[in-house]
Amino acid sequence: MATVSNWIDHLSAAEVKGAVYPGVGTEGILCIIALVIWIGWHVLQNNAESNHLEKLARKRHSANDHKSNITEW
Amino acid sequence: MTDQLGALTTIFTEFYYWITVVLMFLIHVGFCMYEVGASRYKHHQHTLMKNTMLIPLVTVTWFLFGWWIYWAFPTGPGLAPSIMNESAALITDESAFSAKWYVPNSSLMAVNLGDHISGVFWAAFLLFSWTAASIVSGAVIERITTFAFGICAIAIGSVFWTIDAAWGWHFDGWMLKLLGYHDAYASGVIHAIAGGFALGILMVLGPRIGKFSSSGEPRNIGPRNPWLVTIGLFLIYTGFWGFYAACNIPIFDLGPEYGMEGVTYWTATNIYVTPTTLSGITMNFLMSLSGGLLAGYLISNNDPFWTYSSGLAGIICASAGNDLYHPIQAMIIAMIGVVIAYKLHYWVERKFKIDDAVGAVAVHGYAGVAGLIICGFVLNGYPSSGYSVGSMWVGTDYAPINPLGMFIGAIIMFVVLGLIPGWIIAKVLQGMGKLRIPREVEIAGLDYDLMEASRSDEKAVSSSTR
Repeated sequence: MATVSNWIDHLSAAEVKGAVYPGVGTEGILCIIALVIWIGWHVLQNNAESNHLEKLARKRHSANDHKSNITEW
Repeated sequence: MTDQLGALTTIFTEFYYWITVVLMFLIHVGFCMYEVGASRYKHHQHTLMKNTMLIPLVTVTWFLFGWWIYWAFPTGPGLAPSIMNESAALITDESAFSAKWYVPNSSLMAVNLGDHISGVFWAAFLLFSWTAASIVSGAVIERITTFAFGICAIAIGSVFWTIDAAWGWHFDGWMLKLLGYHDAYASGVIHAIAGGFALGILMVLGPRIGKFSSSGEPRNIGPRNPWLVTIGLFLIYTGFWGFYAACNIPIFDLGPEYGMEGVTYWTATNIYVTPTTLSGITMNFLMSLSGGLLAGYLISNNDPFWTYSSGLAGIICASAGNDLYHPIQAMIIAMIGVVIAYKLHYWVERKFKIDDAVGAVAVHGYAGVAGLIICGFVLNGYPSSGYSVGSMWVGTDYAPINPLGMFIGAIIMFVVLGLIPGWIIAKVLQGMGKLRIPREVEIAGLDYDLMEASRSDEKAVSSSTR
């Protein structure tokens, strides 16, 4: 995985390679992973929020009910 | 970097942008504080989380495609040829400033010893993206779902503002060439577009419950924590200062850049690579802030919320031309912008029943549009670029700054890339039933469950100490 194992060799080469992160050449796969994480987050967040809003809406609290929950820590 | 001067210039520029990014982070801190301060107690935590989560959402999408759009779209595509490759197509060739280098799987989008600038420049633009999304966030508090806001934040932060930046905030942008568009510190490319986008969403989203009486009279739902709002706005001012610095290139030799043989002219430049000074723009920033505060204090009958917001609106209004204005011009322009924004806010609220919870459409949208139009008159005749000055509508030259071009530019920013996309996206989300929280939840408060759980926790702790 290591792109650089010896800095002296790396920096004294005729042409210094700029990309020094691990796994050079796997950028495409990393992008697909990022895409899946991004879209997946929206799906999970949407499901969780829909459930939360649905449950809360069913309780039909009044506009001032929350005041009884104000805490003094 | 093989010689010391080249290395010093590169590392200085890298560090300069890095500092601006850190300073601009304060804009987001300020927006979070401001929004929470403006929201009601029962919505506080959700309001905060909604704004906070735009940070990762816009960042990830900015990495995946937002940055690429900026470099690919200066030509329209199809509206004016690029000065780099003389083609009007998307810029994806092998040229130095091509989008080809900024696809997410490019080796330049990472730690790369051959490139010390792309990452910090990417980050500076990303912070502008957060700002665009955060402006929208304040307007829609207490009734939009986090899901819907996330989609809207990505749309404005990683798509539409970056298209406008490519068109009107890029040295090769078609709006400079055809219209003579000039917007040095983003009156239009950040503020007018974000204000317009927010207005488009608000038209579909509707007002908060209770905002208007049955006869249609607006009621004031003032900030619940004025101190948080105050500190938030002070932080936004501070971050905005960093934003001004980030909009400049700190050190650049314009002689060879403009093709002037034998001429060396080192200077700071604005984003269009035309000369300005950090010294001058600092005066203009402070004078336009002052003009905004002075006008806002008077017009709002010393209402703190509006006075602080007016300081911001003043800077926003003067920003389009603050690279060249005289400081007193900047102050006067700021005052004019504040009066327009304040009056329009209440007129639109009454006439169209638009509930803009924090005045974002006014402070950013109306002041931004006013700033662009005023800039067209005050800077009429200045070159929009240093490369080759021509006349309007000739795609190969750069038109000079002029009132008509700036007016059309303002429409493009506020309506074409702001209001219309915002309205369409909100309509789609509404059609999916995902735009607005249920009425019962809005009445109970988004934080009801969290507060209830907090009370239970407190009871449990109290009982254990008996």
